[in-house]
Amino acid sequence: MSGADEPAQQSPGPRAVVEVRHLLDRAVAAYAAAPGAGAAEAVGTLERRLAGLDAPLRVALAGKLKAGKSTLLNALLGVELAASDHAECTRVLTWYRWTRTPSVTVHPVDGAPWSSPPRRGPGGLEIDLRGRPAPQIDRIEVGWPAPGLRRTTLVDTPGLDSLSRDVSERTRAFLTGDDGEPADGEPVVDAVVYLLRHLHATDVRFLESFGAGRGARGAAPGTVAVLSRADEVGVGRIDAMIASGRVAERYRGEASLRPLVQTVVPVAGLLAVTGQTLREDEVADLRALARLDRTVTDGLLLSVDRFRRPSLDLPVPAAARAALLSRFGLFGVRLALTLLRTQDLPAPVLAGELERRSGLTELRRVLDAQLTARRDVLRAQGAVLALTRLLDEHPVPGGRELAAECERLTLAGHGVRELELLRALRTPGLALPADALAAAERLLGAQGDRPTDRLALPPDAEPDRVAEAARRAREEWLERGRHPLADRETRRACRLVVRTCEALLEPVSVAAPGRA
Amino acid sequence: MEPLADLLDRAVEVTADSGRPDLMARLEAARRRLRDPHVRVLVVGEFKQGKSQLVNALVNAPVCPVDDDVATSVPTVVAHGDVPSATLVLAPPDLPDDGSGAAATASATRVPVPLESLAEHVSELGNPGNARRLSHAEVTLPRSLLADGLVLVDTPGVGGLGSTHAANTMAALPTADAVLLVSDAAQEYSEPELEFLDHAMRLCPTVACVLTKTDLYPQWRQVADLDRGHLEAAGARVRLMPVSSALRLHAARTRDADLHGESGFPELVSYLREDVVGRAGTLARRSTTHDVLAVTDHLAMSARAELSALEDPAGSAAMIEELVAARETTGELRRRSARWQQTLGDGVTDLAADVEYDLRDRLRKITREAEEAVDTADPGVVWDEFDGWLVQRIASAVAANFVWAHERAQWLAGQVAQHFDRDGTVALPELLRGDSDEVLELVARLERVEVERVGPTQKTLIALRGSYGGILMFGMVTAVTLGMSIINPFSVGIGVIMGGKAYRDDHRARVKRRQAEAKAAVRRHVDEVIFQVSKDSKDRLRTMQRVLRDHFTTTADELYRSLDDSVRTAREAAKAGEADRAERAAHVRATVARIEGVRAAAARLVDAPATRVGVPA
Repeated sequence: MSGADEPAQQSPGPRAVVEVRHLLDRAVAAYAAAPGAGAAEAVGTLERRLAGLDAPLRVALAGKLKAGKSTLLNALLGVELAASDHAECTRVLTWYRWTRTPSVTVHPVDGAPWSSPPRRGPGGLEIDLRGRPAPQIDRIEVGWPAPGLRRTTLVDTPGLDSLSRDVSERTRAFLTGDDGEPADGEPVVDAVVYLLRHLHATDVRFLESFGAGRGARGAAPGTVAVLSRADEVGVGRIDAMIASGRVAERYRGEASLRPLVQTVVPVAGLLAVTGQTLREDEVADLRALARLDRTVTDGLLLSVDRFRRPSLDLPVPAAARAALLSRFGLFGVRLALTLLRTQDLPAPVLAGELERRSGLTELRRVLDAQLTARRDVLRAQGAVLALTRLLDEHPVPGGRELAAECERLTLAGHGVRELELLRALRTPGLALPADALAAAERLLGAQGDRPTDRLALPPDAEPDRVAEAARRAREEWLERGRHPLADRETRRACRLVVRTCEALLEPVSVAAPGRA
Repeated sequence: MEPLADLLDRAVEVTADSGRPDLMARLEAARRRLRDPHVRVLVVGEFKQGKSQLVNALVNAPVCPVDDDVATSVPTVVAHGDVPSATLVLAPPDLPDDGSGAAATASATRVPVPLESLAEHVSELGNPGNARRLSHAEVTLPRSLLADGLVLVDTPGVGGLGSTHAANTMAALPTADAVLLVSDAAQEYSEPELEFLDHAMRLCPTVACVLTKTDLYPQWRQVADLDRGHLEAAGARVRLMPVSSALRLHAARTRDADLHGESGFPELVSYLREDVVGRAGTLARRSTTHDVLAVTDHLAMSARAELSALEDPAGSAAMIEELVAARETTGELRRRSARWQQTLGDGVTDLAADVEYDLRDRLRKITREAEEAVDTADPGVVWDEFDGWLVQRIASAVAANFVWAHERAQWLAGQVAQHFDRDGTVALPELLRGDSDEVLELVARLERVEVERVGPTQKTLIALRGSYGGILMFGMVTAVTLGMSIINPFSVGIGVIMGGKAYRDDHRARVKRRQAEAKAAVRRHVDEVIFQVSKDSKDRLRTMQRVLRDHFTTTADELYRSLDDSVRTAREAAKAGEADRAERAAHVRATVARIEGVRAAAARLVDAPATRVGVPA
């Protein structure tokens, strides 16, 4: 590799995008010159791709029925927009994009789209479907000035195992990218946050199918699994989040899941939403309950029915208690009361504490570290993959050169290679011990993209220390790559990790800021 | 069961004088059935729904391990016993299968363990994936709920209700007296759950749904309503009971009756007592009274024949002629050439062929899908997932085939009963009935292997999975590593010239080879499965044929003997002298009266109200 490629390693994002845009421009020209309907269609596809290069990262929330997709979506938005109910409620694909003023547009399967007044009811947005049943609606687009949407576009999907087969088939097609006409095999989202309550065989199959649609080798680049409704893992006990952390840890090591997702994060979605939208009156009610005698509150917290039962002896009326329950869940109430009992926290502090303990903070960090910071890489890679496939299906004059360029770009960008190696590390086959695998993953940015994340240092470590750690890591991996028994794949992997270390070593000051 | 035992005693008494060992044997069999009133209740559902906790709450003891992560890996059978105890039953080391399943019964090893340490053996933590090859664990507890013969079976949770575990559960269904489908109040029923419910209702007569964890979910009432809606839409007339195991256990600790009421358990317990145990009681009563009625009919026939010959010697010739004709017809029925025998023989042959065809058809589709899947990806990379997918698909195909075969077998049994009936009705007394209810019960009883013991099919499936996965994985690994080590020295030298191309070509060739290997392995595996499963279902059909043949032959034999007796006694009576005649008539009249008495008692029990038989209030 020549010296000219070095800058690309330091900031793979912009450079990769520039190169890919250039390539796409050439491909558009090639197809525009070619005859036939297929070529015209290809031009359309490529132009959408070009436009897509500048779009925000599109993250789809997917999962089975009642996995808590809409609740998590609300938590990520910071606003309660998506309806979440005990029954199956998201029946239509819904896009959430950032706009200055709220707007809602409904796209039916056939016919012209119409806009619905953006009205928020108690259970989220109230959307006018003009009496059409869900299977006749293609998608709903919601524009909202929600803070969470500035950097990402979120897609809420109906359950993959919906009792309505039409709906679940459409979701699956959307996520796997074989959505028929408009998508034309190209991925419509950059990353998937997959929610699961318990790891079922069907979950693994869904995850595999996302990968198959997007990366040719079965592993999707941007998939994060969320152990949702994490407070229910420990049946709402006060240590439920610790229990769910243990379960998430086990899933992270699960052989069937490892190649398919980058990490597993437990999140108590309901608590996360409530933490962000906590109201003073709720805190006041909780305070009043926390001041009661322990035996009284313990009796109340035995069951949901006991908690909301009418009683004259309690300072909080039954209706308010029922409202607390639906906002916090039994675990949330238990947690909040415990927090308030030990310390008289002001509302904003309590809100922050709930949000942290809900696991949302960790999920945001993972999304930033593993998805958003690498969106350029993913986007560029997605575009190159789409072009490769297009060239395969509709050959054009000059296609061979374009294909070669695609291949070069797939190989050249170090960021993409890091992602690929990360994927490879997660499939069995490399002859490396488990701790070395973990260290390699970390160096390649699995835990975060900043040098300190990669080198397992505290975020405020001095540059000298960072450089020293990078040097040590580089030597260690050089050594490992020279091991006489190492096979070819392992050596290649070691070389790549060494390059990563070198990139970390040189321009610490350049790499540290502003990658997000 | 007191009135039933009395009835049996009286029936035995009147039969003892008659010199009919065949009828005595029938009564003895009925008595044995009555003494062993095991009512098996299978607790099934997806994992993490609170099945083990439900069993614990029912018996109010922490017998089944409960964990935040997946817990149960081995079925646990909880039954009544005077002292608390726990026993591990090891799966027999090998399967020298002679088709009868007797080998499996004989070689099981039992290891008693302290009750407290049971969790180490049956939980996913202590015994991951049932690595110790336990067949099941048995727990006995002195509990009044279990005293009536109720046996609770806690099953490992199934992921997606389509896995090997699910296939196991499916095979156990026909042997269970009742099934509790457990689902928690977090969400309404999913499609796999409803599908499973549909299968369960076709295989097991009594199914109920339990909605757990109502203490945790504020919206459990709405979920219960939605579930009831789904059940109604699916046409399932099934009861749904919302319960909270946590509340029941807490209530038991604090002796809080109100809390116990809120837990929803009173309804579940009374359901188990009245509907499940009570229904089993009703069934037991029906089959016992049926036996008694049949036996008394047989006895009454020859006694009445004698009596009428004694009372009316002149008309006895015509009657004897009728009896002889009836005996001839019955004799026909006993012959192998009888029509019902042919129906049975042909039916079993056809059914065996159909079942195998159905299995082949289902598996052929899977093979095709598998080959397509193999073509689209490098099997070396996705093997684990692929393997899981394949095993699951095969397991569910085998389960569907099983359900289908079971239904067809029942239909055939009914058909045979009808033929037997039709052939027999010519000039034969009422007595001869091909009672199709009884036949169906016989077929069901065939499946009465131990619920928790892995059936031969499932055992084979699991063993096969091990072997085929092993062979292929081993092949893959050697292909990959050998490939590497051979190629390495080459590529060092030639790599300069050939560059990446050789490597890519080689890689492509290796993927091709792996794809071919994977396809061959899949085909081999499917062949093995077809071989084993169809052998298994043929064995099952043969056993069914044997049991049905024996059943109908015995019925015909009994009738033949009764008719024969009648002819003999009538002839003797006709020949008897005037003086003897009056005395003999008085004696026979008394006998008839006794028989009639027993018969009337049996008939009264049949008409008695259906609830609360044998269940202490």
